[in-house]
Amino acid sequence: MSDDILFDLRGISKKFVKGNDTITVFENLDMSIARGDFLAIMGPSGSGKTTLLNMLGGVDQPTSGEVVFDGKRVDTLSENQLAAWRANNVGFIFQFYNLMPMLNAERNVELPLLLTRLGRGQRKKNVAAALELVSLSDRAKHMPKELSGGQQQRVAIARALVSDPKLLLCDEPTGDLDRQTADEILEMLTLLNRDYGKTIIMVTHDPEAAKYAKRTVHLDKGEFVAKELAA
Amino acid sequence: MRGFFSQIWTVVVMNVLSLPRRLWMSLAAIFAVSVVVAVLLAFLAMAKGFEQTLAGTGTDRIAIITRTGSQSELNSSMSRDTVNLVATAPGIARDAGGDPVYSAELYVIVDGIKRSNQLKANIPMRGISPRGFGLREQLEIVEGRQFEPGRNEIVVGEGVLRQFEGFELGREIRFGKTNWEVVGVFSTGGSAFESELWADAPTVQSQFQRGSSFQTVRLRLETPGDVQPILEFVENDPQLILDVETEADFFANQGRALTGIAIFGWILSVVMGLGALAGALNTMYTSVAARAREIATLRAIGFSNISAFMGTLAESLLLSVLGGLAGAIAAWLFFDGFSASTLGASFTQVVFTFELTPELFRDGIVLAVAIGLIGGLFPAWRAARVPVVTAFQGGE
Amino acid sequence: MKDVYLILKNLTRKPLRLFLTVFATFIAFMIFGTLTAFQQAFDAGVDLAADDRLVVVNKINFTQTLPIAYVNRVRAVEDVVAVTHLNWFGGYYQEPRAQFAMFAVDAENFLTVYDELVITDAERAAWIANRQGLIAGKSIAESFGWQAGERIPVNSNIFSQRDGRTDWDFDVVAIYEGADPQTDTNSVYFHYEYFNETQSFGGDFIGFMGVRTTDPERNEAVIAAIDDLFANSPAETETVPEKAFNKAFIEQIGNLSLILTSVVLAAFFVILVIVGNSMILSIRERTREIGVMKTLGFTSGRIFRMVLVESLLIALIGGMLGVAAAGLMVSLVNQAPIQLPVLVLGGSVWTQALLYVAVLGFITGIVPAMNALRLNIITALSRS
Repeated sequence: MSDDILFDLRGISKKFVKGNDTITVFENLDMSIARGDFLAIMGPSGSGKTTLLNMLGGVDQPTSGEVVFDGKRVDTLSENQLAAWRANNVGFIFQFYNLMPMLNAERNVELPLLLTRLGRGQRKKNVAAALELVSLSDRAKHMPKELSGGQQQRVAIARALVSDPKLLLCDEPTGDLDRQTADEILEMLTLLNRDYGKTIIMVTHDPEAAKYAKRTVHLDKGEFVAKELAA
Repeated sequence: MRGFFSQIWTVVVMNVLSLPRRLWMSLAAIFAVSVVVAVLLAFLAMAKGFEQTLAGTGTDRIAIITRTGSQSELNSSMSRDTVNLVATAPGIARDAGGDPVYSAELYVIVDGIKRSNQLKANIPMRGISPRGFGLREQLEIVEGRQFEPGRNEIVVGEGVLRQFEGFELGREIRFGKTNWEVVGVFSTGGSAFESELWADAPTVQSQFQRGSSFQTVRLRLETPGDVQPILEFVENDPQLILDVETEADFFANQGRALTGIAIFGWILSVVMGLGALAGALNTMYTSVAARAREIATLRAIGFSNISAFMGTLAESLLLSVLGGLAGAIAAWLFFDGFSASTLGASFTQVVFTFELTPELFRDGIVLAVAIGLIGGLFPAWRAARVPVVTAFQGGE
Repeated sequence: MKDVYLILKNLTRKPLRLFLTVFATFIAFMIFGTLTAFQQAFDAGVDLAADDRLVVVNKINFTQTLPIAYVNRVRAVEDVVAVTHLNWFGGYYQEPRAQFAMFAVDAENFLTVYDELVITDAERAAWIANRQGLIAGKSIAESFGWQAGERIPVNSNIFSQRDGRTDWDFDVVAIYEGADPQTDTNSVYFHYEYFNETQSFGGDFIGFMGVRTTDPERNEAVIAAIDDLFANSPAETETVPEKAFNKAFIEQIGNLSLILTSVVLAAFFVILVIVGNSMILSIRERTREIGVMKTLGFTSGRIFRMVLVESLLIALIGGMLGVAAAGLMVSLVNQAPIQLPVLVLGGSVWTQALLYVAVLGFITGIVPAMNALRLNIITALSRS
């Protein structure tokens, strides 16, 4: 196995049972994601792109097949092991930001650090650095409802970054934002990929957003469609 | 482990901070628990107040002698001869002159008008001698003076004054054909004696056609708590059909009369507690539903499901403990020290005050915690099982 | 109601919540039903008291005695139909704690004055003929396991026989029942002659008298006549209607009805808050659907009614189940071997419960129903 491979999906199948029907989302899917990649996954709704993202994030388990992250299998981990794995390796960015409404920006960003052994001083430093990176140092004390959508998403990005994970998983990160704000967010992701070496996987249905990625795969009915778009 | 606890702590704090968003549901749960606790404590304080009033009445330095099986002073009766005979028993303390320290007393019932409902109720009138005054602890004439032997004069207990009309100092009271004058008010530190009227024993004998008979004898024990010598004396004389008990035991038995009220209070508040539990469960399930996306997001970030469980449980406990405290404080404000009277063992009104002791307070909080614990457990279980994918689903 | 199907679907959409709110309502109505049965039993002594019956007691207090000679003098008073006299015996059976109400009476007049105690003519004759006979109420006989024909010893905690014994032997001649289900059957009656001749206390005194008058209208005149008769004698009397006497007696224990009413109110208040909140919440969750229904052409009034009917249904289901459970509790209490008045969960409790169901359903439904009524389609649909 090459050192350059961060994620390796081998023969993944995913099936749901719904009433008397079995719905097959994927059948025997293979996929490799290189370290430092910025991958956009596109596809119509129901194509399985969100399920794929969930499996990459250890939120959902494949029915069969292996998910190998950094040389280790993650599909066999228990729920709490997965939680710990996510805490160390994955940062999530959601379509609706999912900030805790009762915590201010700074406290929201700090959350993942509470799962580490870092002391209070160090946590404060890291939070400040993450907010700095998303240019929101001046909004540190603001509550989510006092921030615009774009600002909230930047706080969410800072939260995803703060524990320095290798991987950022983004689920329609610009789905709830206007064009200009979306572009700002996407430029930020590009920067994180380019200058900080974060591997980014982004599910989107917006071709404009996909343009920011290094490569784009198209998913349709659980299969990759060979259609590479220019970056 | 530090991470484990700080995780839980973080989630607990976030849960608590999010309470204002579910203000009304949370207040409903708090309110329900507080009413249940207040109801419980009202009943317990009533039973406890009655028990303590009577427990405070008796002492083990004094023995009380009644006719066998009479169970109360009212039902007992004994002749002058019996009294004289008992007074010769060993085990009775003696005064400086070498005479046994005892008091033969009468116990008759008269009517009084209760302030609370303007209806007649039974008040005990005790025929007593100056020697009998010496057998009451903490006795104090707080107003006026002692009655004079041979005259139709009475001193009234503070409890009577509080609950009944027309016994103020200087008032004339008519019992049947005879008039009596209130010449003093006495206090015995809150004991049941304060629910009584006291008058000169021979005067009561003649005015109530009691001849030379008495009803009970009180005597000071040589050794506190030791009634054995007197008991043996009584048993060895077939003429004496008497019960001998320390005053402490005598009143402790009578104090149990309201134990049924305490049990009734428990049953009632546990049943009401089931209703409050339904409310708490409703609130907590709603809370878990409202926080599902937050819980899932935290799980996605890497928080464990134990933290989600504990956070929910803590929220439920917090609400119920707040409710318990509110209920206990309300009970304390409204009921502690509340003066009431009820029929005691001698068919007479015993004036007592509700008492909310720390142990009752604790009982109330225990009930609240029980509601919070059960009301939180099932919703917490649901919180722990919120699927992480919920974080990816849209909608506010 | 064409909307019944929709209302039922709305009601059952969250079965757990429905269960919890119905359960809370159930509990409150169970408490209401049970305590009301208790309260009615306590009040029965007052409610069932005969209007044409008076009680004559010593003016000092009803525990003070009267001379037996008074009985004949009262009998001679105009408009008096019958007079009986009663002495409290202080009876207990085997255990001093097992006390019960036992009176020495003159049998013949007693059954005339207190005609709500039902025994057959044969039993009546047998009792009058048996000097050591007693009649016991159904409830007390059951709690001590007495059978008619049995010979039992009863102790007195007040009196003793001339030889010093405190126990008397009695023949249980009859077990009486009450004319009304709530008539007290916890008392025992025996012959005054037997009592007067055997006890050592000095004889020929009575506790109090029961007097039957020709007409309740004449009560006042009879009361005045009796009390005048004994004014300024060593034992003055006080004559009161039985209702007033029983009421004062019950009140001696304390203000039971205030306590019971407060508890019931507290229970109702709790569910009012719980159910009301839950209704508001469930309507808020349906904002979008209500908006959709309005666009489909459902009128605001119709939606208002649907919400109100829903909350009424919750109150109705919980309330009726609760009162039914109270009926069960009441029969359990009645079967328990304890000396309690007979509890009856009568039609009046059901009627009251229905009234409270209506009030509760209305109060808990009105706010969410108003919210639904006022809901603006555009805001309802834009609120995602």
